[in-house]
Amino acid sequence: MKIRYRFPILLVTGLALVLAAVFAQNGTYTPGEFQKSNPNYPEPDPFYFEGKIDWNLLGITQPQNAWEYLQRGIHFQDDLDDIPDAISDYQTSLSMNSLQNQTCQIVTAAMVVNGTVPPQFNPAPCMFTVRLRLGYQLRQTDPNTAIELFQEVLQIDPQRLGVNTLIAETYVIEAQQTTDLPTRQQAYANAVTAYQAELALSPVTPQSTALTGDLANNSKVHWELAQVYEATGQNSLAASEFQLYVQATQWHSDVYPWRIALAKSQIQTLARAK
Amino acid sequence: MRVRALSVTVCASALCLFESGCGTQVQTVQNPPQVSFRPQAFQRPEKCLPCHQRQYDELHSAVKSGYRNVSPLFNGLESAGNLVNGGLLRPVYKDSTIMLPDGTILNTNMYTSPILTETRQVQAGFCFTCHNADIEVLGDNPNTREVPQLSGLGSCPAATGQQCFQPDLFRPLRDYVLVDANGNQILPSTPGADPPSGAMPSLGAAGITCDFCHDENGPDLNRSFQMDGFGNTSLLLNQTDLKVGPFAFPVAVKNDFHVASNDPDKIAFLRAGAFCNTCHDVRVPNRNLTAEEHNMNPGGQNVSYFRLENLSTEWQIGPYNSTNNPFGQVVRCQDCHMSLFPYAGNSTYQVGDMTVTSPTPGMFATDYAAVPGVATDQNAPLPQRKVVEHYFTGVDVPLMTPIELSARLGSDYPDPYLTGTDSHGVPNGLATRRQDLMNAAVRISLSKTDTAAQLGQTFTVRLEAVSLTGHRFPAGFSQERTAYVQLQVTDNNGFLLYQSGYVVDKPHPNTGEMAPDGNLDDEDLEHVHAVVDPGTNTPTYTAGTGTNGGNNLVFEDGPDDGPDERVFVGAPEGLVLFRNELGHIFLPGQPIGRMDPNTGTPVVAQGVHFEETFQAALANTVDNFRSLQPLHPQTYKYEIQLPTPQQLQAIGVTIQGPLHVHAQVNFEHFPPLFLRFLAGVTGPSGPTGHDLNLMNEQRIDALLKNIRDIASDDFTVSLTP
Repeated sequence: MKIRYRFPILLVTGLALVLAAVFAQNGTYTPGEFQKSNPNYPEPDPFYFEGKIDWNLLGITQPQNAWEYLQRGIHFQDDLDDIPDAISDYQTSLSMNSLQNQTCQIVTAAMVVNGTVPPQFNPAPCMFTVRLRLGYQLRQTDPNTAIELFQEVLQIDPQRLGVNTLIAETYVIEAQQTTDLPTRQQAYANAVTAYQAELALSPVTPQSTALTGDLANNSKVHWELAQVYEATGQNSLAASEFQLYVQATQWHSDVYPWRIALAKSQIQTLARAK
Repeated sequence: MRVRALSVTVCASALCLFESGCGTQVQTVQNPPQVSFRPQAFQRPEKCLPCHQRQYDELHSAVKSGYRNVSPLFNGLESAGNLVNGGLLRPVYKDSTIMLPDGTILNTNMYTSPILTETRQVQAGFCFTCHNADIEVLGDNPNTREVPQLSGLGSCPAATGQQCFQPDLFRPLRDYVLVDANGNQILPSTPGADPPSGAMPSLGAAGITCDFCHDENGPDLNRSFQMDGFGNTSLLLNQTDLKVGPFAFPVAVKNDFHVASNDPDKIAFLRAGAFCNTCHDVRVPNRNLTAEEHNMNPGGQNVSYFRLENLSTEWQIGPYNSTNNPFGQVVRCQDCHMSLFPYAGNSTYQVGDMTVTSPTPGMFATDYAAVPGVATDQNAPLPQRKVVEHYFTGVDVPLMTPIELSARLGSDYPDPYLTGTDSHGVPNGLATRRQDLMNAAVRISLSKTDTAAQLGQTFTVRLEAVSLTGHRFPAGFSQERTAYVQLQVTDNNGFLLYQSGYVVDKPHPNTGEMAPDGNLDDEDLEHVHAVVDPGTNTPTYTAGTGTNGGNNLVFEDGPDDGPDERVFVGAPEGLVLFRNELGHIFLPGQPIGRMDPNTGTPVVAQGVHFEETFQAALANTVDNFRSLQPLHPQTYKYEIQLPTPQQLQAIGVTIQGPLHVHAQVNFEHFPPLFLRFLAGVTGPSGPTGHDLNLMNEQRIDALLKNIRDIASDDFTVSLTP
């Protein structure tokens, strides 16, 4: 006998058997299907996750976009200590998230409507992590590019702490590397400007002093600024910065605690030389 | 043709069942059917005591039972969230008349909503649900309601004549868990005041009780946002005499006090990590600007969330939920938190290039599951069998004195600092158990450090760290749980050349400590200096941060700025901090909470501004990857600059080699600045205008105890001329 719908009947019967097998309970707990998407791969919405995710959790075989190249670059740098490959990936990432070729954009107040932003941007917002990481790696070998990258970070987030310090430190490197006196003086001057910009982002105010007891903050900036002033022979300013450094470390010490004693010593030395 | 098309569809559907990436199919298991047993209301754990004395005693000292409900920190955190959003985190009930903007009535909470389709449903009882789901269920009946629905939720314009949220009347949750001798609720005289004379703990004061776990009826896939039984109390609860235990066919219970389930699925569920997963992922209903997720349930797509606690997911995808771990078998939550761990011997194994010795999980005592001669029908004899511990030891000890604990939880509440051991050889004191658990969590090695260094030059310390926990380390409220590396480099005379992960005794004027007090446990790490705005009481309440605080009043880089330098810049310097981070992305033009000292106007974000936030309710991004991944060693470099001979001469110091590097991992269950924020927001100057009696400087100084040196290593570096 020929059954007209034998194929679907067989299939439905087979499916029922499969379902019965799947749903059969045998004493071992069977959870609902666990999270369909990789829980370690955040879906950007709309800004990038700018941190570091353990590379082995991402499940990426070959990076496809700026964010994935950044993550692999971080993996090369942090996990494998492979700086050349890290730099290469950072550069590839940057080429896909670039202001110059308009593959990224700076988000401005004009894009914020009623306190929200569009769910998607085209082009995507610019990322800061790749710029910071690549810039840091290029400080010694290509300080100008490093500074440009750091300055792009300031376009993304002008109030981000630490970026002006990175710029200043790179200018100091530039000053130390050059044999041309005017270039050196200009680099030091630029460093001073950047350090001061850093200090301006977290000013010591009557309110902050009342809350913390701190008369100064940013000890690292004051220390480094003092070094620049010493290097440029501006001893009075150097002494002033050493003084602020000592104040800033009063309740916070320093990762290099011997610098506190050294700063006090330098204050006396500079005072004697006055 | 039609037949073939149908065949293809059916085949594809069948294959879909086995294909993890198939379409939007998300559910392979149905919620279990509801079954009928004799109704039995949720009951006090004391009811279980006569037959299960040991389990009762153990659970009694667990922080999730009892303490959490009166905890100044949990209550402070829940209060802080409510004070910034107008009480939205308090439960609403069946008789609610609250109208949502779309005209629908909000009369279900996070537990009682069949499917969470509105953010406000998730917010309603958000903290309370996981910590006290039974009581929230009982709250639908006004006669058994402990925590009232607040009058006025959110912000409402006074002109409407509505009853608005009144912060001055706001009570912390723990005010509601007190009853008199007749079992009637009694409230402290003023919000947050001490318990009235004669007050006793209510049913709700017990928190996670015997009933909560043993009333389980399987996972509630509809409540979990990804329909997988994870998070936000995705657990079905019976209110019957059917109790689910860990094994089938137990001896009959005396006087039919309860029926023991023989359902193998429910028993297997109770014994599985999946049972713990129902609560130990916490998904916060809020837009996440970097990794937003949405409720996948039908109709739930408007509920977006981010992951606060991600512990269960971490375990689910980790090596201990597989045989690919040193023990060659799945290691469940129960194998560490309900076993003899870490008191049942050690194992030695290899993780990467590190040889590790640590306590063996999954070892259980042999004992009676109930009290012989008391628990069984006809006094039937009980067999001895493998039994679990009910201590549920984790990373917390109470931030309350024994006297305070007794006043709120009864005179028999166990002292967390008890000495001695129980009949299974497990320490009686919670503090000891926590210390021992933490000691098993992580190992470090300095063996890859440079072997030689020279004055005036840099040398590199390489610290390798591996987590041995089933989830990441730290986990849970991992954005506040603080594990970090304290590292020192000294010369052979002990002269300190470098330090990271250090703290400094200092004043805290914002909470009244005007001079250093000699205590280092109340000090924050030096990577960031932050003071969080506690807010202030105003005549008219408006939801948001305007007068309710939460933003950073002070936010500065500290000298040990490792976390940001390492993650974002890739710089080999500063603090190694395993704490995850909550962040707030301020959009261009939004005020960031500080005033410009020059203009006196609010500072606004000029671009997209990222800042760490310590008020979870304000977070719109989270980094849950700073914690240590289990069994995955991670190396952290410290590039350390040594002083020049000239610099040493200037300070009159002579360095003698070799150099000594010492590293240790320390743990603090909450950072002091977070506790100081809670002190401010719940204090007399905060939004309520009076002291909720939860947190203050004295409590921080007396009770915040850090655990130092849970793992350590040393290395010697030769000093070359």
